[in-house]
Amino acid sequence: MTEILRVEGLQKRFGGIVVSDNVHLTIGAGEILGLIGPNGAGKTSLFNLISGVLRPDAGSIYLRGQKIDNAPLYKRARMGIARTWQNMLLFRTMTVMDNLLVGPRDYPGESIVRLTFGRAHVRSAEAAMKGRAMSILARMGLEQTAGSAVVDLPFGQQKLIGLARTLMNDGDLLLLDEPMAGVEGAAYETMQRVVRQEAEAGRAVCVVEHNVSFIRDLCSRGIFMAQGKILQDGTVEELISSAVLTELYFGV
Amino acid sequence: MDYLVTIAISIAIYTILAASYNLVLGYGGLSTVAHPIFFAVGAYTAGLLAVNYPESPAIANVVAGMAAAMVASVLLAASSLRVSGDYLLIASLGFQLGLLQLIKNLEFTGGPGGLSAIPSTIVGPMRGPAFLAICGLAAAACVFIIRAIVNGPYGRAISAMRDEELAFTALGRNAMSMKIVIFAIGCGMAGGAGGLYAYYFQYVSPDQFDVLASAAILTMVVLGGMGTVYGPVVGAILLLAIPQAITFLQLPPAIMAPMQGIIFTLLVLAFLFLRPAGIVGTKGRPI
Ligand SMILES: Nc1ncnc2c1ncn2[C@@H]1O[C@H](COP(=O)(O)OP(=O)(O)O)[C@@H](O)[C@H]1O
Ligand SMILES: [Mg+2]
Repeated sequence: MTEILRVEGLQKRFGGIVVSDNVHLTIGAGEILGLIGPNGAGKTSLFNLISGVLRPDAGSIYLRGQKIDNAPLYKRARMGIARTWQNMLLFRTMTVMDNLLVGPRDYPGESIVRLTFGRAHVRSAEAAMKGRAMSILARMGLEQTAGSAVVDLPFGQQKLIGLARTLMNDGDLLLLDEPMAGVEGAAYETMQRVVRQEAEAGRAVCVVEHNVSFIRDLCSRGIFMAQGKILQDGTVEELISSAVLTELYFGV
Repeated sequence: MDYLVTIAISIAIYTILAASYNLVLGYGGLSTVAHPIFFAVGAYTAGLLAVNYPESPAIANVVAGMAAAMVASVLLAASSLRVSGDYLLIASLGFQLGLLQLIKNLEFTGGPGGLSAIPSTIVGPMRGPAFLAICGLAAAACVFIIRAIVNGPYGRAISAMRDEELAFTALGRNAMSMKIVIFAIGCGMAGGAGGLYAYYFQYVSPDQFDVLASAAILTMVVLGGMGTVYGPVVGAILLLAIPQAITFLQLPPAIMAPMQGIIFTLLVLAFLFLRPAGIVGTKGRPI
C-alpha cells in the first residue's frame, strides 16, 4: 500500500491542555482510517495540524514522503490535502455551484493577472470545473440543487455539499471531520457510498466519527484517541471490543 | 457654470474614493479607516512632481501618485494583515495620523499651510469642462473595473473569503495575497483620484485628509449601499449635492452650517433604521 500521509511525534499544547501528545500515524492510499475518541480528545486539532491550520510545537508531517512542515494552509491544500469541517463552514451567501467552484486546487480566477491576460484559459478552466462540479453533485443525486442558495438546503444535504466542495480538490488525502453528525436517511447512505468510492479511487481517507456502525461498515483500521494520545491503533473489531475504549468512550 | 462644473468634478473624484473604499471595505472586508491618506499620497505625489518638475507630463504624475499610493498600501497591508485583520484597523489609523503629522511638519510639502501653486496643465475657458470629462471618465473607469473585479471568478472568491476565510484558505486559496491585491487596487484608485484633485484644484492641504474625510467617505458608502457596485456612486452624489442644494436656499450662514450637520446625522440615522443595506442594497441575502 502506498503511504500517503505520515505523522511523526506530533506535539501540540494550548496552555495546560495537550491536544497532541507524541502522535505517530500513517495512512495509505485506498485506506479508510476511523478516528474516534471522546469530545476534546484532540481529533479536530489533529486535522488542524495536518492541514496546516495549526502549527505543531514539535514533530513532522510527510505527504507522499515529502516533508510539508513549512507549507502554509493554502499550499497544503494545493498539494492535495483536502478536508471538511465539523461545522461545515460553507460559504453561506453563495449557491451550491459557487461553493464547489471555489474548491479546485488551481483556481485561475483568484489572480487578477491571470484574469486579465489569460481570459481564454480562465474561461475554459471555469467550464471544466463546472463540469466536474456537476458530476460530483450528480454522484450525490444533488445536481438539481446546483443553483440553490446553500443555506436553503436541508442539513444532511449541506453536509454533502461540504464533502462535495472538498472533493473538488481531487486530493490524495481526505480528512473528514464528523461527516455523519446529524445526518440520516438518504443523505447518510449517500455519504457512506461516496466516502467508500473515494477510497476505492485510491485516496487516503481519515474519518472522525462517533457513529460506531458507520466506522464498522466503512473503515479498515481504527484509531482511538483521548487527551491528545493515541491509545489504540488496530482493526476496527479490535477497537470496538477494546476495554480501554469502552471505559473511556462509552463511559462504562 | 464654473461653480457647477467644480461640484461635478468633486462628485467624480469622490465617486472614485467611495467606490474604491467600498471595494476594500464592503467587498474585501478589510477594515481600514485610512482611505483619505492614500488620496493624500496621490495628491501630494502628483502635486509635488508638478511643482518641482513643471515640464513633467501630468498623466505621468497622476500615475506616479497612483503608484505611490499602491506601494504605501501594500506596505501597510502586508505588515499589519500578517498580525490580524483587526490590526489593520488600528494600523491604518496610525498610518493616517502619522503621515498627516509628517506632511504638516515637512517643509517641502508646504507644511500645515498646504501645497499651493500647482501648475495648471489645461488653461483657457475649456479648462473646467475638460477636467470634468477626464474625471468623469476616470470615475466611470473605476466603477467599471470594480464591477469586473467583484463579478465573475474573482468576485466569487471574494464572497467566499468574506463568508468563511478559514475554509476558503483551506481549499487552497491565498486569502492573504487576495486581500493585499484588493487593498492595493482600492488605494491605488484613491491615489489616482488624489492626483486629479491636485491638478484641478491646484492646491492641497493636510486637513482635507483627516478622519473627518474618512467619515465622509464611509458615509457615502454606507448611505449608497456597502457591497454594491453603484451604491457608492449614489452616496457620493447625494452627499455632495445635498449641501449644494441647501446653499440654494440662501439661508444665513449661521443656520447653514448646523443645518448641514443635522441633515447628515438624520440621514445616516434614518438609513441605519430604515434601510441598513443602503439605497442600492437589497434587503435579503446577496446572491
Ligand atoms: N485554537 C485553540 N485554542 C485553545 N484551545 C483549543 C484550540 N483548539 C482546540 N482547543 C482545545 O483542545 C481540546 C481538543 O479539541 P478538539 O481537537 O476540537 O477535540 P475533538 O475534536 O477531539 O473533540 C479541547 O479542550 C479544546 O477546547
Ligand atoms: Mg472535533
